[in-house]
This record gives sequence, structure tokens and C-alpha cells, in this order.
Amino acid sequence: MRLVFSMIGKRITQLLIMFLLLSFITFVLMKLTPGDPVRTILNVEDVSTTTAQEELIKQQYGFDRPILIQYGEWLSNVVQLDLGESIIAKQPVLQLIINRLPASVALTIGGLVALLVIAVPFSVLAAIYENKWPDYLCRGVAIIGASIPSFWLGLLLIFFFSLQLNLLPVMGRGTLAHYILPSVTLGMAMAPVYIKLLREQLIDILQSSYIESAIARGIPRWRILLFHAIRGSLIPLVTMFGLSIGSLLGGITVIEMLFSWPGMGELIVNAVTQRDYPLIQGYIIVVGSLVVFINLLVDLITMLINPQIMQEARRAQ
Amino acid sequence: MKKGNATLFNLPITTKLGITLVSFLLILIFFGEWIMPYDPFQIDMNNRLESMSHQHWLGTDQLGRDIFSRIVYGAKLTIGLGVITIILSVIVGVPIGLISGFSGGKIDAVFMRIIDAILTFPDFILAIAIAGLLGPSLTNIVIAIVLVRWIVYARLVRSQVLELKQQEYILASKISYSSKWRTIRMHILPHLIPTIIAIGAVDVGKVILLISSLSYIGLGAQPHIPEWGAMLNDGRGYFQVVPALMMYPGLAIMLTVLIFHLLGDGLKNRFDIRKRGLRK
Amino acid sequence: MKDQLISIEHLFVTLNGSHQPLLEDVNLTIKMGEMVGLIGESGSGKSLTSRAVTGLLPKEMRVSGRISYGGNNLLELSDKERYKQLGIKIGYIFQDYRGSFTPFIRIGKQMTETIRTHIKLTKKQSEQLAREVLNEVGLEDKTIYHRFPFQLSGGQIQRAAVAMTLALKPELIICDEMTTALDVITGEKVLNYLAKVQKETGCAVLIITHDLAQAYKHTNRIYVMQQGRIVEEGLSEEVRCHHKHPYTKKLCSCLLALPGEDLITTASQVMVK
Repeated sequence: MRLVFSMIGKRITQLLIMFLLLSFITFVLMKLTPGDPVRTILNVEDVSTTTAQEELIKQQYGFDRPILIQYGEWLSNVVQLDLGESIIAKQPVLQLIINRLPASVALTIGGLVALLVIAVPFSVLAAIYENKWPDYLCRGVAIIGASIPSFWLGLLLIFFFSLQLNLLPVMGRGTLAHYILPSVTLGMAMAPVYIKLLREQLIDILQSSYIESAIARGIPRWRILLFHAIRGSLIPLVTMFGLSIGSLLGGITVIEMLFSWPGMGELIVNAVTQRDYPLIQGYIIVVGSLVVFINLLVDLITMLINPQIMQEARRAQ
Repeated sequence: MKKGNATLFNLPITTKLGITLVSFLLILIFFGEWIMPYDPFQIDMNNRLESMSHQHWLGTDQLGRDIFSRIVYGAKLTIGLGVITIILSVIVGVPIGLISGFSGGKIDAVFMRIIDAILTFPDFILAIAIAGLLGPSLTNIVIAIVLVRWIVYARLVRSQVLELKQQEYILASKISYSSKWRTIRMHILPHLIPTIIAIGAVDVGKVILLISSLSYIGLGAQPHIPEWGAMLNDGRGYFQVVPALMMYPGLAIMLTVLIFHLLGDGLKNRFDIRKRGLRK
Repeated sequence: MKDQLISIEHLFVTLNGSHQPLLEDVNLTIKMGEMVGLIGESGSGKSLTSRAVTGLLPKEMRVSGRISYGGNNLLELSDKERYKQLGIKIGYIFQDYRGSFTPFIRIGKQMTETIRTHIKLTKKQSEQLAREVLNEVGLEDKTIYHRFPFQLSGGQIQRAAVAMTLALKPELIICDEMTTALDVITGEKVLNYLAKVQKETGCAVLIITHDLAQAYKHTNRIYVMQQGRIVEEGLSEEVRCHHKHPYTKKLCSCLLALPGEDLITTASQVMVK
């Protein structure tokens, strides 16, 4: 139990450090920006600008006060979960982000499913036929896969399956069919790293003494593979997922843009093009917290699976 | 390191392939301007969206610009940016790693905390943030990536320093009152340089992917610039009509990144580099 | 010759691409219900011999000779046919108890999985059988059945492995250094349960060990192996008192230098009620 608390403690310190770093960087950067946010606001509202109006806006948004005071104020608001209001949408930033969260989570889950469907068979084949042609083929596929930009992969999939074959819908999010292309793109983009890891894991496990025991007990090969080897190799995958959640959140942004998926990624890219500063800031804070939170969750899950099991599994190899 | 004596001729086939292809890329970068048949920025509304021909080897885009010339020009830009980003990351990361590893104690602890915190934060998101706050441009993207990438090298150097600190010849050089700088130069850098080059090569590939992705969503290179990701973004509306607009820049990215992967993997094998120091 | 269960004749094992055989002209027979010891230092080829019998040798090794079992030459059977015999005809217990069971699956589940692979039973019946045999080797089924392997001690795991063979009633059990990773007293306890199982089922047992005292105590006949050859064979008492080969002599003299086989025996008798 003490371990759990120390872990949570470690993650919270991490969160705080990251939070301070990020908020400070974003805040300073914002003040250095060439584009004047006041102009942005006025442009959006499409009024002819006068100095009086500019002053009014400056006062309204507090841009006229010293930076450190602005920073402190903003920080105290953030702690109270108030991330400010979007300049463009005129809605609370937190609300906007939360509205987009389900779509992104759904796409992530779809991507993970696709990832497993793609990575497991490949790595199993590669591990069983280690250093034979299926292994070389899988390794080749993995290294080429790691070189393909995900958005181009998505474009190719759209081109073949939607435009040429007319099988699947391209844009938006509605039916289950809408999930297929974005999920597969995301899964394929993540797959190479996981294939590499899983293959190494499986090769180790297949040579372990407990697999030999299972063989000596006469258990059918497919059962050994499925319930003893593959299952064992999936345990470290949870940790791997925690480590790669950051790049996943990045990768998902591109895919959301590509498929006009109404998730957080699309929100933020639009916010950037429209220079919606509070939204950008809020997004960074939310994503940062999300990453740390998911890592904490992954830690807890691995503990729940029982650290000793993992330890034992590792030692037995 | 016995393997260090390998000559160009007994390298593994993947490395040979990697080196050949890299030389090919280098030729593209340095002599591209002689190869280019057209000015990559030249708009020619009379020859829009042409397919492959003797005049235009890979056809033209929606503004009549020669695709082949744009891709050749883009090679210089895309690869150059990748290499510069990694060099900058090395310049930032290596000294920090050395300081952190050598001083140990509190300084090391503070560095490690900061590194852990940044590490959890995705480079892609930071790039978006910086692009959002400073405005989308290639310079800002490079800054954003360097802000995250240096960590890889700092950690690498730090763990190597910690490992080497335990070894006898370092102790011996300490006893013989060699200066720290001398120890670093004589004993640590020779071990580090091959590792950094091998990992850097793979990283250049990764950075190229990252930059092109950001350009594709409009946060990197602006549309008229023939960066490969931006070219894909630029021609998005015409894919259905002219698939070539989509095929060639994508293929260019893929092949380039693949080359750097092969090169990096080959170097890793050659220098017998394990994954130490890259994971927690 | 009728009561012969298995007989190994002129067995050679060679690593591909090498001329020096790892096993050279090994001849070994086991009768029904017999307990046979195979002793020698590590690297002498004991485990290779037993693996040649089960077909668990690495693929890079070539085998020649003859292993007669149940009227067949095992070396001529297909992989599939040989595989069918594992577990049900030939039981195998390994040295490293951590590798005896898969670490992240509960003991009970692995036992029923094995039982149902070989015997047509319902889930309930196989669970009952598993619990019965666990009790037979002195393990409490209520606790052990739902445990993960890492939650058990080495002795408990090896006893569970013995229980496993008891459930399947194979004709031959091969114990490859099964007690080496255990302390002496726990090891004796496991061996005593093995002897009990042997008496109940009447199966033959091949005990592979480097521990002479153990071999004398538990076996009827002994083969001594050195550098891939059988250098001596005979009844346990014979080998102990009238050994001919200098290597056996060396092994025995080491034994005499140790204080107490008798001590061990009494200690283990105390342990097993």
C-alpha cells in the first residue's frame, strides 16, 4: 500500500513540475507573440478598430496589466479548474475541450483494437519463425511502417477504400463504418513499435522453461501459444502503452484532421489557425494532465495485475 | 571495441545500402539545383494538373508547378531541417547530460526531475503549442522539437557517464589528477560519439516525419513552400483527379525516413549499441 | 525382455556442423515399475539423453540410434505422434521449479488444462481430480488450487508437478534434477512423494541427478555417465560398493567425504510423518 502512495506522490510531483513549466513557457511565449490578440478579437467581431475599442478590449481581457500578475491570476484560475473563455467560440475552454473528449477517446480505443489486431499476428509469426522468411518479412514491414507518415497512410486508405472502391465513408463520425478507416490508420501508425517489442518478448518467452514444461505436459501447441506465450507477452504492453500515450495524443491529432474527426485534435488545430490563445493554453494544460493521469492509471493497473506476476514473468525468462 | 576496425567493405548489407542511399540523398541536396528542370515556385496556369510527360517527369500541380522540381527542392528543405534539429538537440543535450552525470547529487536530481516531467509531455503537442502561440512556421517547429528532443541525448550522455564513472580507467585518470575536461575528451566522448551518431540518424527520420505531419495539418511550412508535408496539404483537394499529387511527396517522405532508419539500425549494429539509457 | 518399458540403443546426438558427438553410443533400458538413476556431473549428457527420449532436443541437433518404446522406434515416429505421448505416457519434471508452471496462470487452471488435454473429463471432474492428487502429495487443495506459482515455495511447486504426473498416470516419469534447486530436506520430501506415486501407479521412474546419495537411496539401478558416454551401470548397491570405473570411484569418494546420508534420511523421515 505504501508503494501505491509513493507512486501517486511521484506522479503528482511530476504533474506539478510539468504544469509549472508548461504554463510558464506558454505564458511567456504568448506575451512574445507577434500577432496581437486584441486585433484577433476585433477582427473576429468584424468591427472597424479604434484605439478606444482596443483599450476596452485590453481592459476587458486584462492584457494591460503586468505579466506576472496576469500569470498569477491565470494560474489561480486554472487551479480552480477555470481555464478561461475561448476568444472565438465565447464559451468556457474547459467545456469546449470536454465536449470533444469522447470522440478522441473513442478513436483511441478504436486505434488500440486495430493495433492489437495488426501487431499480434505479425509479431507471433515473426517470433515463431525467428530468422526465417516470415520473420524477415515482418521486420521489413515494421521498418517500412515506421517510415510511412501516418497522414499519408490515411490518404492512401481513403484513396483506395473510399474513392476507388467506395466501401467506407471518409469524413465525420456516425456509424461504426466511420470508425474503420481512422482506427486502422491510427493502429497501423502505432504498430511498428509494438511489433518490435512484442516480437522480442515472444522470442524470450518461447525459449523460457515454463513453455518447455507446458510442452512436456503435452498441451497442444496452439493453446501454449495463445494462453501461455501471447498472454505473457501482453503484460509489458500495458507499460509500453503508458510510455507512448504522449505520442499517441500527438498522432491522433493528425488523424483527426485528416478524417475531420470531431475530437480534441481538430479543436486545437483550428484554435491555432484562429489564434485562440486561451483555448490553446487550456488544451496544453489538459493534455499534460491527461498524460500524467493516464501514466498513473497504467502504474496502478500494472500493480493490480500484480507486480509479482510481472516480476516472476520477467525472471522466468 | 574490436568491431571498431571494420572497414567500408565488410559492413553489413543494410549499412551499405543505407550509405549508398544517403549519398544519393546528399547528391539531391547539394546538386539538386542542377537536376531541377524548372523553378519549383514558377506558376504556370496553362499547364495545370498535367500528368507525367517528357516535359514534366512527375506532372504538374494545381498551379502548374513542376512536381519533380518541387520534390527535389523539398529534399534539401526537409532533410536539412531534420538534420539541423538533431544537431541543435545534441548541442543542447550533450553538455547538460555531461554536467548532470558528472556532478551527481542535487544538480543531477533536479535535472532528472525536469527531464522526467518534459519526457511525459509529447513533442507533437508542444510543437502545436508553440506553433499556436508564435505562429506557424518552420523555425518555430524546429524550436519546439529541439525543446523536447535534447532530452534523448541528455539522458543518453548521463547514463553513459554514470556507467563509465564506475570503470577503472576513469578512476585511474582521476587519481592521476587529469582535469575533468581531459577525462571527458579522452574517455567519454570517444564512447559517446558513435552512439549519438547512430541514434541521431534514426532521430532525423523521426523528426522528418514529425515536421511533415505538422506541415500537413498546416502548422509547419506554409503551403507555397515545397516542403513535402506542405505539398501534400496543398494538393489535398485534387487527389481524386490527380493521384500523383498525393503519391510522390508521400513516397519521398517514406523513402527518406526509411533510409535514415536503415542507416541508424546499421550503425547501431556496427557499434553494438544496446538500448541502454533510452528507457527509464 | 518383455517387461522392458523403454530401451535406448546406440544413441548418438551430434550438433549440426560439429563432428564431436555430444552423446556417444548410449545404451540404457528401463523396466516396468523400475526406478533408475542416471548420474554424472553437469554437462555429462544426462539431460540430453532424457530429452532425446521426449523429443525436446533443440532442432540443431541430429539424433541417431534407436529408442524402443511400446513396440515403436521413437526416433522414427513423426513429431506429432511423439508429441501425443508427452504428459500422458511420459511425464517430465524439470530442474528449475520456477519454470515448472507458467507464472501468471493459477496452479489449478494449469492442472485442469493438462488433465483435460489428455483425459476426456468435464471441467468439474477434472477439478476434482486435480484437488485429489494435490492432497495425495500433501498439499492442501483449498489453498494451492487457486494460487499462482510464485505464491508457492519451490518444494510445493515440485510437489504439485509430481501431483500432475499422478493425475495422468504415465508409464514413465523423467525427473531431470527436480530437487537440485531445492534444499536437501525439501528435496527429500518431494522424492518421497515421488516414490509413493511410483508405488501406487507402478510406473517407471528415471531420476537424473548429480547427487549420488539421492540416487542410492531411491533407485534400483544406476547408470553413470561421463562426457556423453555411459561408463558404468549396475544395481545401486553394486555400483556403490564394487564400482569398476575410476570416474565412479571419484564420485563415490566425494560422497564419503560428506558427513551424512544417514542424517539426511532421518531428517526426511521426520518430515514426512
